[in-house]
Amino acid sequence: MTGAVTSTIPHEGTRSGDLRAFLAMSRRAVVGFFRQPSNWVVGTAFPLLITAVSASAFSRSTSLQGFPDTDSFLQFLMAGTILQGTLFGSITASTDLALDIEKGFMDRLLASPVSRTVILISRLAGAAAFGAGLTVFYIVVFRLFGAKVEGGLGGMAVMVVLSTVMAIGVGGYGAAVGLRTGSAEAVGNSFPLIFILLFISSAFFPVETMSGTYQAMAQANPVSFVIDASRYQVLEGFSLAEAATGFAVAIGFAAIMIALALVQLRRRLEDHS
Amino acid sequence: MTIASSASTKTGRLALSERIPLVPVVRALVRRSLVAITRTPSALAPILLMPIFFMISFSGSYSAITRIPGFPTDNIYNWFVPYACVQGAAFSGIGVGFTTARDLENGFFDRLRLAPSGRPALIIGPLGISVIRASFPFVTVLPIGFLLGADFPGFGGLFMLAMVSAMVSGISGLWALGVVFRLQSQRSLGLVQIGIFSTLFLSIGQVPLSVMDGWLHGAARVNPTTNLLRMARQGFLEGVTWEMTWPGLIAGIAMLSLLGLFAITGFRKVEK
Repeated sequence: MTGAVTSTIPHEGTRSGDLRAFLAMSRRAVVGFFRQPSNWVVGTAFPLLITAVSASAFSRSTSLQGFPDTDSFLQFLMAGTILQGTLFGSITASTDLALDIEKGFMDRLLASPVSRTVILISRLAGAAAFGAGLTVFYIVVFRLFGAKVEGGLGGMAVMVVLSTVMAIGVGGYGAAVGLRTGSAEAVGNSFPLIFILLFISSAFFPVETMSGTYQAMAQANPVSFVIDASRYQVLEGFSLAEAATGFAVAIGFAAIMIALALVQLRRRLEDHS
Repeated sequence: MTIASSASTKTGRLALSERIPLVPVVRALVRRSLVAITRTPSALAPILLMPIFFMISFSGSYSAITRIPGFPTDNIYNWFVPYACVQGAAFSGIGVGFTTARDLENGFFDRLRLAPSGRPALIIGPLGISVIRASFPFVTVLPIGFLLGADFPGFGGLFMLAMVSAMVSGISGLWALGVVFRLQSQRSLGLVQIGIFSTLFLSIGQVPLSVMDGWLHGAARVNPTTNLLRMARQGFLEGVTWEMTWPGLIAGIAMLSLLGLFAITGFRKVEK
């Protein structure tokens, strides 16, 4: 019996053990996230509400000088709405890690023979799954209301990958805050920062129509690069070249945030040892 | 023992002569809330920082919409500064909802109910807090708005904005109390927020009716908040007129009355 139990325990340092642990904990993260409707219902519905209002309020702005070549404000909004929903949901998903800390489950995980990196990365699976699923869902909803992705399946694939990587990045940021503070409330309170990043970007209106300092800030905002890459697939057509900058920014952002979370995890372990 | 007090013992209710007058109780409740704010300044963040952020981000993102034919001003700050003040006033009601829900959950509200004070104080007190909280964004958003470039609306325009802010804080406070009294949980605040956000979104908050299309135009036209926003903005746009004022007054009084009834009937559920 002991042998049977021992054989199911993944051993730190072995690839198969880490992979099994990663898959098991990723599954737990995804199931745990979707089991609580409060985790994803608001994050899914709220951006759609804002889009419905904005599409009606700003429909005449498509004729403004500097606006991209489209007659549909809804189509213009698609990329911004997808990223907005993804970021909101990812922050919610990352509160689960803080909850694990609050409940003491994290301590048990850390005491187990599993790689620390695997523990952290697998926790981001909930955010990644949400980002990918939400992008597909929003593309379908927008299509039902007449806004389509000109880039076809290739363009949609680019959008899914971009939002998944961004979800991992924001999840990493939430994980870093959670590991630093050990409080789910603190992770939730970091939500306004995401809101600010989104608003001072090209998410809801083209940067070309803005002016002054605000325009400069929106242009320099990394979120704008990701949204513009995604928006190109919606408005113009499939282009990997146009998506490249967005990919580079999203992957860079995710890498920095995961590194930040790992630093916080190491710090937490040192504090507790 | 007086006749009055023996009668009150039998019925379980205090005679009027035995009750603490309304004003000192309301004043005490307001003071308690103000002390709580000084002890936890972070509670003020939503009503101070959010309206400032919305004012800056809306004005920055949507600065080009003033070029749409039919837009009533070429200065985007004249459009969004009063809206941010009204938003801040609306958020102050959410704060009152939080406080009351917490009191209900930890049992403090039951102790207030057992106190020898009139029941109206337990609604008017939080309402007073809401109105006072609404003044905070009014004095922070406006100076920043003027610095950014909003035109001075004249004292009449300022008075109209202050009056609408006070009414909106009362309206959102009564809405929050009505919901919280019924559900008696801090979780119910999500519903309060959705109600307030939806009411503001489905109005002329972002663009005037003349620029809207589709379903939003129909919704904003019948939304009483539209009249309140017209009243609040008039000093910043074309000057204060009675035509822009009376629909706002009627909308405000009607909403206060209806939501007052909503809060009172909710309070009766707490009593049961």
